[in-house]
Amino acid sequence: MVPVTTTTFAGSFPGTAPGTAAAVALHGVTRTYGRGPTAVRAVDGVDLEFPRGAWTAVMGPSGSGKSTLLHCAAGLERVDGGRVRLGDTDITAASDDELAALRRERIGFVFQGYHLIGALTAEQNVALPLRLAGRRPPRAEVRAALSMVGLGDRARHRPRELSGGQQQRVAIARAMVTRPEVLFADEPTGALDSASARTVLDLLAAMAARGQTIVMVTHDPAAAARAGAVVFLRDGRVADRLVGASAHDVADRLVRLEA
Amino acid sequence: MLGLSRATFRQRWPLFVGAALTVCIGVALVQSSLLVLISAATLPVPAGLAPAARAAFVEGSTTAVTLSALTLAFSAFLAVFIVSSTFAFTVAQRRPELALLRLVGAGRGAMRRLLVGEAVLLAIIGTAAGIPVGLAATRFQSGLLVGLGMVPDGFNGEWRSWILGVSAGVGIGVSLAGVLVAARRAGRVRPLEALRDTGDSARVMTATRWVAGLLFLAGGIALVILTPIGGAAGGQALGGNAALCLAVALSALSPLLVPVVARLIPVRGPVGELAVAALGDGVRRSAATAAPVIVLVGLVLAQATMLTSTTAAGAAEQRRATAGDLVLDATGPVGGDVTDLPGVAWASTEVVLPLTVSWGSGDDVEREDGQALVVDPAAYATAHPGREAVEALRGGRVAVAGPGAGAGSPGDTVGVLVGGSDLGPLPIVAGVPDAIGGGADLLLTADAVPAAELAAAPSRTVVALAPDADRDRVLAALAALGTVSTVPDWIAADTAARETTTVAVFTVIMGLGGLYALIGVVNAVVVGAAPRPAEFATARLSGLTRRQVLRAALLESAAVTTVGLLLGGLAAGGSFIAVLALTATMTGVATLAVPWALIGLLAGGLYLVTAVTSALATWSGTRRAPVSLLGATT
Ligand SMILES: Nc1ncnc2c1ncn2[C@@H]1O[C@H](COP(=O)(O)OP(=O)(O)OP(=O)(O)O)[C@@H](O)[C@H]1O
Ligand SMILES: [Mg+2]
Repeated sequence: MVPVTTTTFAGSFPGTAPGTAAAVALHGVTRTYGRGPTAVRAVDGVDLEFPRGAWTAVMGPSGSGKSTLLHCAAGLERVDGGRVRLGDTDITAASDDELAALRRERIGFVFQGYHLIGALTAEQNVALPLRLAGRRPPRAEVRAALSMVGLGDRARHRPRELSGGQQQRVAIARAMVTRPEVLFADEPTGALDSASARTVLDLLAAMAARGQTIVMVTHDPAAAARAGAVVFLRDGRVADRLVGASAHDVADRLVRLEA
Repeated sequence: MLGLSRATFRQRWPLFVGAALTVCIGVALVQSSLLVLISAATLPVPAGLAPAARAAFVEGSTTAVTLSALTLAFSAFLAVFIVSSTFAFTVAQRRPELALLRLVGAGRGAMRRLLVGEAVLLAIIGTAAGIPVGLAATRFQSGLLVGLGMVPDGFNGEWRSWILGVSAGVGIGVSLAGVLVAARRAGRVRPLEALRDTGDSARVMTATRWVAGLLFLAGGIALVILTPIGGAAGGQALGGNAALCLAVALSALSPLLVPVVARLIPVRGPVGELAVAALGDGVRRSAATAAPVIVLVGLVLAQATMLTSTTAAGAAEQRRATAGDLVLDATGPVGGDVTDLPGVAWASTEVVLPLTVSWGSGDDVEREDGQALVVDPAAYATAHPGREAVEALRGGRVAVAGPGAGAGSPGDTVGVLVGGSDLGPLPIVAGVPDAIGGGADLLLTADAVPAAELAAAPSRTVVALAPDADRDRVLAALAALGTVSTVPDWIAADTAARETTTVAVFTVIMGLGGLYALIGVVNAVVVGAAPRPAEFATARLSGLTRRQVLRAALLESAAVTTVGLLLGGLAAGGSFIAVLALTATMTGVATLAVPWALIGLLAGGLYLVTAVTSALATWSGTRRAPVSLLGATT
């Protein structure tokens, strides 16, 4: 393997003092699936800090543990070892109800498969996290979130009446309506054509420009290049990272990683 | 949150309508059985009836009370079973959607509140609909009892306003009981499940299922073992309940058994493969459909078999316990006239009198109605081999416990009222063996009973012909005294009458309950098919025609029905063993009369109902073009 490290990797990014100001921090995080000889160590001792206000892409070959890492960071998956911090909160051993409250209030999700509730209109889907938090959101607030993703006129449509790109934008509006500290996105453009993907990436870029912390898993070097920094995973470990690289550089690095 | 329920309702209405329907019918049946039971129990005996007519009236209304109580018990059981399994299944079917709610931040408490709130809403709707439906059921059940002659014309389960409270309590209580376990589970749904659409991701054999299954299995086996010591009436109840417990146990454990049977289905071509794959993948669905089938088959088969077997055992017992050649039905103590006839070897005349026995004294008197038989001890012992204990009657003013055994045991002293005469306290000095077919509760001699009572009472006389008798002349002479038949004919006629009663009893107890269980089956098929359009669409996009998808669904439903029939048969098998032991203990001959015609009817009916329902559900689930269904993940 060719050494590909460009900058020294100390678990944090330049300009970030280690241990402070990170929106999400993972320390020695390990997650193993299964037991015995068939056990898979999906995440293997990862130390990572996602700085506040930054857009970080996570890349790596299929099965390298990207989704698992994201799930661990968001408290969707329990870790076997290590610690996970969200801002100042250690969520490693958080109770189920605390994690649910986190999902309602402090983090947002966007997934490749949209995962909207088919029975609800776009508007109702977007309002759902607020209503689960016990709030009766003003219609204007919900409409504003939908307008932000360019779907102000589709509020009353159901998911099956929307295109894939539109559904993904509703999902982004749903994730953002609570003004989360961190937005986690797992291949948000994975199921979209290039035009729709660009719309979604433009949205994320606009949000990042306003200071939104975004952690995004992607297979697309062009998408990764729009993020400020790229972390590469291989076999559950952080293999490399790039800051401010072009799509070409990212693709190049990925090819070498997969070699 | 209610907005979410409302929106979900619009899309998943068959789920909710099915759940509300099961509550509705459960409430209706419990309410109706309760009203009929109370009205039958408080039915006033008309004044001025002759003792015999009064006895007949009391006997009829007592039977009506027993039957209504049994019907009430079955209705309550079915309501709990069907409503809770429907609610649990409905929640299981919505699991992907519930996982999504968890993903966007619903806590455990919120999930429980959502599901319990929905359940209460459905319960209120179901109860509101159930109360008027219950009134119709009351009319039907009352009509059945009138038709059977157990209660007088014009009898109707009378409306009582407090029943509103009972029905509401039943509807809401049963729904809550059903949803609580399911809601707890839903609260534990992991949010990540929303991201993996691999179908049935939850474990189907939950701890609750294991515990319920094993507990009821143990209970069922215990009841089978206890049945033989329950006596004629108690034994039947125990045997029936054994089947009930086993049915619950097997439906709880059915997720283990469905895949085993699925492996036995001969697979040919893509349609068969699809059906078998669906069976394996949808274990929860198959179990939910099999459950009401198991309970329906188990209960109906057990009840029918217990009734026919005890009737058959009773007839055989009666044949063994009756010597002689002819039976004369007449009025009064005709014994002397019969023995005087030339050609008669011996004759045992048994006069039938209505009986009331009483125990205790003062305010604490307990009364029991029954039947007394006034006999000649020696002749009775000759006519009924095995009942020689009757000879103890020679002791004077005493009584002997009869084969019906409803008036006390040897050693007791009971107050005896026959017809209109109070005989005062009489000691029971001996007892003939209990008969499975029942009979008189107390045997007395003519010395203890006023002659006036005897003269007007119906009697039967068992007659044996002398070896050299002129049969035709004896027959002609007897015909002058009353109605004559041969012993076998007389027993056959008696058995036929009992069988008619048996069928009637069966109809009263099982009729509406069976219908309810059948609706439970239909409901489970509909609820099971509700979330499947996307699955069907995928199959069609992979190249299957709509017809092939339909065939696969039919094959699957036939397989599930087969599993239900087999397991229901197994549950009923417990009561088969119980009735064999019971009849062996009571009559010395193990008897099992399996109602094959009923089994055929039941199996055919169930295959037809599940096939038609699943065909309709699948056809409607494949109505839209397959592509339109793939976009929406939920
Ligand atoms: N629930 C699970 N049970 C068992 N193994 C799992 C589970 N989830 C993931 N794995 C395994 O863990 C490893 C990492 O999976 P993960 O989904 O994180 O990879 P990924 O990098 O997101 O891949 P992809 O790019 O294909 O989405 C894989 O080998 C996978 O098989
Ligand atoms: Mg992944």
